[in-house]
Amino acid sequence: MLATTTLTLTTLVAMSPWLFETPLLGSLAGRVPGIFFGLPLVALASLIFAATHHEDPAQIRLATVHWTVWLGGMLGMVLAAVLLLGWLQ
Amino acid sequence: MNSSVGKTNDPQRSRIVAISPDDGSAIDLRNPVLAAALSWAVPGLGQMYQGRTTKGGLFMVAILSTFVFGLWLGGGKVVHASWADQPAGRRGILKLLIQPYVCQAAAGLVALPAVFQAARLDGPARQPAMLGGGLIPVGFMAPPLAPGQYVSRAYADRLTRYDPDIKADDFFDKPPLKQFRRDQLALWHRQLGRLFEIGTLYTMLAGMLNLLVIYDAWAGPLGPSEEERKRRTAAESAASSAAADPVS
Repeated sequence: MLATTTLTLTTLVAMSPWLFETPLLGSLAGRVPGIFFGLPLVALASLIFAATHHEDPAQIRLATVHWTVWLGGMLGMVLAAVLLLGWLQ
Repeated sequence: MNSSVGKTNDPQRSRIVAISPDDGSAIDLRNPVLAAALSWAVPGLGQMYQGRTTKGGLFMVAILSTFVFGLWLGGGKVVHASWADQPAGRRGILKLLIQPYVCQAAAGLVALPAVFQAARLDGPARQPAMLGGGLIPVGFMAPPLAPGQYVSRAYADRLTRYDPDIKADDFFDKPPLKQFRRDQLALWHRQLGRLFEIGTLYTMLAGMLNLLVIYDAWAGPLGPSEEERKRRTAAESAASSAAADPVS
């Protein structure tokens, strides 16, 4: 499994330059709201934080959900406050 | 650091172990410094070296895919290292520290080509290496050209041919080199718009999160907070009191 994973990721990284110039990029720029690019980052940060605090996979999953809710909730409140301030002005 | 040095049956060798916060079992860290170095080189490899293959695989997939996704969003241009024209002294150090590459470098060997390309561009060759056998026309992870930067004539010609925003007039002819007149970083921002910043953010975050992974490889899991430990201890005490005296 280790060899397969390493080989797959190495191939992906090595191939990545050839993936750059794709028409999909141009359509992404216009169509996907910026906020959706932040959601995977929240999930990633929660996952890494949970995985570095636990060893058991079940505990890691629970902690990931916990931190995703906390991070997402806090950032959501900040976004709501900013939107409210913008609407009030 | 939830680690301790324990003696094995072999008196010549002592083990460094960490304690799992979930079940209290021992985690053999083997050589923590080597594990940390491996986790820097390839995220998660240090954990795999320690036998923690599930966590290692998780870190490897999560961090590398985030880095590659950010690189893809930014058109391959968001990871670059350039120390050319940096002012010397304290201001230079401060400017170096706010470069995105300081964070991206923590992602490991995937970000290393940028250093190599920067050295090539600033060195006698005056052009980045054409990695990928020339399939990437303008150099993978090549640093952007600053105003007034000297480059080789071959590289100037390649840029003029393959970059739609760069024209032959954008170079002063300074034999045997050419001098770029514009700011290529500004051109990239204009070409990619917000995707350049989003791609930079993804690659920087991948690098910074790998610092946590490196710490995990060096010292084991961080474990629950003091508050959580006290709560668990109190819960266990209450449970054992209730078991000892069920009537009250």
